[in-house]
Amino acid sequence: MPTENANTRKLTLYVAGETPKSLAAISNLERICREHLPGKYQIEVIDLKKNPQLAREHKIVAIPTLVRELPIPIRKIIGDLSDEQKVLINLKVE
Amino acid sequence: MRSSQEQALKSLIDDLRQRVTEAEETLAAIREGSVDAVVVGAEGQDEVLVIGDDVLAFRNFMEAMEPGAVAVDADGRLLYANARFRQIFAEDWDRLKGKLLSEILPGPAAQLISKLISHDDHETAPVSVSFLERGVERNYLVSARPVHLGTIRGFAVTFSDLTERVRAEAAERAQRIASAIIASANEAVIVCDRTLTITHANFAAEALSTEKLVGNRLDAAIPLKFPDATGILEIGELVESSLRGTPLRSIEAFAPMSPGARDVLVSAAPLNISDDEPEGCVLTLVDLTQRKKDERQMHLLMRELDHRVKNTLALVLSISKRTAASEETLEGFQGSFSGRIEALAATHNLLAGASWESLSLRQIFGAEVSPYAETSGDRINITGPDLSLYPRAAIAVGLIFHELATNATKYGALSGEAGSINLEIHPKTDAPSVEVTWTERDGPPVKSFSRKGFGHTVISRSLSYSPHGGTTLEFEPTGVVCRIQIPISDVA
Repeated sequence: MPTENANTRKLTLYVAGETPKSLAAISNLERICREHLPGKYQIEVIDLKKNPQLAREHKIVAIPTLVRELPIPIRKIIGDLSDEQKVLINLKVE
Repeated sequence: MRSSQEQALKSLIDDLRQRVTEAEETLAAIREGSVDAVVVGAEGQDEVLVIGDDVLAFRNFMEAMEPGAVAVDADGRLLYANARFRQIFAEDWDRLKGKLLSEILPGPAAQLISKLISHDDHETAPVSVSFLERGVERNYLVSARPVHLGTIRGFAVTFSDLTERVRAEAAERAQRIASAIIASANEAVIVCDRTLTITHANFAAEALSTEKLVGNRLDAAIPLKFPDATGILEIGELVESSLRGTPLRSIEAFAPMSPGARDVLVSAAPLNISDDEPEGCVLTLVDLTQRKKDERQMHLLMRELDHRVKNTLALVLSISKRTAASEETLEGFQGSFSGRIEALAATHNLLAGASWESLSLRQIFGAEVSPYAETSGDRINITGPDLSLYPRAAIAVGLIFHELATNATKYGALSGEAGSINLEIHPKTDAPSVEVTWTERDGPPVKSFSRKGFGHTVISRSLSYSPHGGTTLEFEPTGVVCRIQIPISDVA
């Protein structure tokens, strides 16, 4: 179970129910974190279909979008996270 | 103050730049199809709009399908799985969603299916896969068709359950193999159920009955008689014994109603198809008719051999006594006795070569006369049809030819250079005997036997075992003439 510490990436993934891109984004994110950030991540998946108003906190327009809250500054990655290199660069893993 | 204003302005510009960058990235993502939903706000009310088709429609359609069905993206990631698919893998949707097919399916099946979804422009032929479902192997025909799902291209993959069909085909094949085994067995094989009704019978079994076997009761179609020693009264007892778990092997029986009334060797074994009690009985019947016939023939031959040996010993004893009585010197006895025993042996040899069945008269003549003269030369002549003689007559005629040849060599046609012998075999008629005439010519003047020794006795009595057998011996001036009457009952 990932735990929170100084190096923990706090990640929030905004999805829209079970659209193909949303499911792909969840699956890709879990795989990338499992393989590259073992024990160093914390994922929260927010379904904007159920709670659209939660989009405001991070000014989400397109779905799916991944928000890296920690470490600051905040980073956003838009799309289904199928480009692993782009995700890793934005998560500052490589 | 000025500095703090500049700081605030710079921060505002950075924020604006960040927001412009985000806006550009968002627009690019929408344009590139990297997202399939957007948040729109109207009067403070945010709402999520899904781009492309509503996934609910294809989900409802898939849910109504009887085969297992999944929607996957180009990577094989599950976008939806219907109830039948979830049942196959005993998983709920929350645990399946977003997983790759290769993570769910066993390796070989996953490899086959991955080929189906690797070419989105080509329809590929369905593949057959099998894997364990709750510990039981099941077979599926898997096909994949490209579909549009929202903003992406993916595949609808269906899993049609072929297990029952595969099992039925396997059962049918097993049935065909079992039938072929029964049919190709050389021995008679019969399968009956617990009520003795015949369910299978091969060609060899059908030959044991005049009726069609399948559908008939075993005890009616092939009634068997068992020797008292077996303690079995009828074939049903064999079946019942095997159904109780005691298979019986190699029980001799007689099938009186079978064509040719056959001797058989019966074995009965339970027909075990499942772990439950036997469902019937498998009987094999080995036809012993030929073997029994051979045994009877062998028994007969043994008795015949015993009889012949006793007869031969009695004959040898008689020859010995009578030769001794008719010869005056030991040398004379030795010569005559050896000659007669050799004559007997020559006919015996011929008979043994012919399995003691019958012998050609010409062969007997050749064997007995050849020690004294060239039978194929000018001095020996045979006319008339050959005759086949049974052993009793063959031995007698052999001894007669020996005595006649010995006499001809000593005193008759073969004693000089010019004499000859003609053997005329008369054809068979309705008469009770067949005549064979031995005629000597051109020998020295003939006198009657100076005394009627054993040779004369052999000639005159050897065929007297039958009222239609016998010889007449005439001493013509031109040579000896012997008319031999062979009983017709001893001519084959």
